[in-house]
Amino acid sequence: MHREFSQQLLDHLQAGIILLDRQGRVLAWNAWMVRHSRLTLSEVAAKRLDEVFPDAQHTRFLDAIEQALRFRLSSMLAPGLNAAVLPLDHQPGDRRLVRRMQPLIYVTPMSEASCACLIQIQDMTAMVRRERRLRAQSTQLIATTYRDALTGVGNRRRFDHDLSLSFSDAQNKQCPLALLMIDIDDFKAYNDCLGHLKGDECLIQVATALREGLRQRGDSLSRYGGEEFALPLPEADRDLACTIAERLRLLVEGLGLPHPNSRVGKLVTVSIGVSAMVPEGEHSPSDLISQADQALYQAKDEGRNRCVYIGADLHVVPVCPHPLGPIAVPSSRR
Amino acid sequence: MFQLNELQYDALRELFNLGVGRAARSLSLMVQDEVELSTPVVTLVKPADVVTTLLGSEFRQLSLVTIDFAGPFDAQAILLFPERNALAIISQMLDPDMSPEELSEFEQEAMCEIGNIILNACISALADEFGVEFQGGLPMHYFSDTDSLPLLDLEGDRIVLLLQIHLTMRQERIQGHLIFLLSVSSLSVLRECVDAYLTRVGLA
Repeated sequence: MHREFSQQLLDHLQAGIILLDRQGRVLAWNAWMVRHSRLTLSEVAAKRLDEVFPDAQHTRFLDAIEQALRFRLSSMLAPGLNAAVLPLDHQPGDRRLVRRMQPLIYVTPMSEASCACLIQIQDMTAMVRRERRLRAQSTQLIATTYRDALTGVGNRRRFDHDLSLSFSDAQNKQCPLALLMIDIDDFKAYNDCLGHLKGDECLIQVATALREGLRQRGDSLSRYGGEEFALPLPEADRDLACTIAERLRLLVEGLGLPHPNSRVGKLVTVSIGVSAMVPEGEHSPSDLISQADQALYQAKDEGRNRCVYIGADLHVVPVCPHPLGPIAVPSSRR
Repeated sequence: MFQLNELQYDALRELFNLGVGRAARSLSLMVQDEVELSTPVVTLVKPADVVTTLLGSEFRQLSLVTIDFAGPFDAQAILLFPERNALAIISQMLDPDMSPEELSEFEQEAMCEIGNIILNACISALADEFGVEFQGGLPMHYFSDTDSLPLLDLEGDRIVLLLQIHLTMRQERIQGHLIFLLSVSSLSVLRECVDAYLTRVGLA
């Protein structure tokens, strides 16, 4: 009566139950296990689980059983870290075996003469899948909130986030960080003359051209505001930042977009403020921004369609156009 | 206050490093990447001092995994990381591209298992080397802030064996603590076990 009742109880549980003896041989295997493993008790009785599940060799599942039998220690195996560790079907009768179960497993030692270890298995497949779907959605939503809807580059939020990450990284590693502030020359005049739709098109084309000039490592260009773009350049010192700035300036000029109302020439051009520093403890990202901003104003003052560098010492260095090679900057001015 | 001598501290440091070394091997296998663990510092402190010793830092939010062990001596073992470090570990383990903000409570299970692996490895190393047997319960994971740390509620003559733990994975170094909460009588048994171990290996 007692034994029968225990058996009934085990078979009605909506979780897998396996009991092992001191040698790790199967004593009990409930109805849930039969349904999900397609193995009956008579097929597994008195076998060790490494024989029942040859695929589970060298997995944490067998380690956990060993720990329970040898050291009397309990273990849990989360689905995230042990995906589909056992060949169990999520849906019983799913002959195509497309879906292995994502189980949550508890292994506990038992202090009973015949029974030394209890294994409980719960099916987490649906939850794992739901989690994955929610994460995919949230990743997409996050991407949307960080993107500028018009140009497809990052928005101001993206820039603030990127710069603060790069800044603390540079601070920790004591390596240089550069920042470019890029502004389309006489953009207001462009808009006034050709209308806002053309203005939008111009922004898109400039953003696309700028993106083409980014480093392979995947720097992140953002729209800082109106017609202004910002580009943090991790691990770039002054020379590298100036080279990149000059490349970007030439790419925009090379678009050959007519600008009927520019004070610079006949084409759409950009001015770029460049700044770089190895951030010390007392520095903040806004220091870098204000330097780059100052450099940008300087570039505008000096006649636009050019790059100007301003460093932490507020030394102004004009960046000469050097389309074919690196930019020569006198080392005494560093 | 209960004390251990240098030799006893050395022995414990060695045994725990043995334990976390095993845990590192298990974790490396799971993430298919090298995981290093070490416990460079072992100290004995009063529960109330734990807070000042390690929690006076800027970290207020903590991630804890606890397991109760019973045997020749009883201990409540706690693996403790500042919450941000814990989330960094989990995202490294599950998906390095995931930012800590994206991790949900669902990942608590993963933290629970990581704690389980590290704590069990330490206890089984002690059991092996001391030639004794413990019974270990299932791990529990929770987040807590330093003010409501359960350690603080404990009255009486408990003592804390406090270990720093360093975890290195994919160039990232993450620091946390292992805490073994012992009664005075348990600590006295632990000391006897350490002495017996030292005698056996010919150091005492």
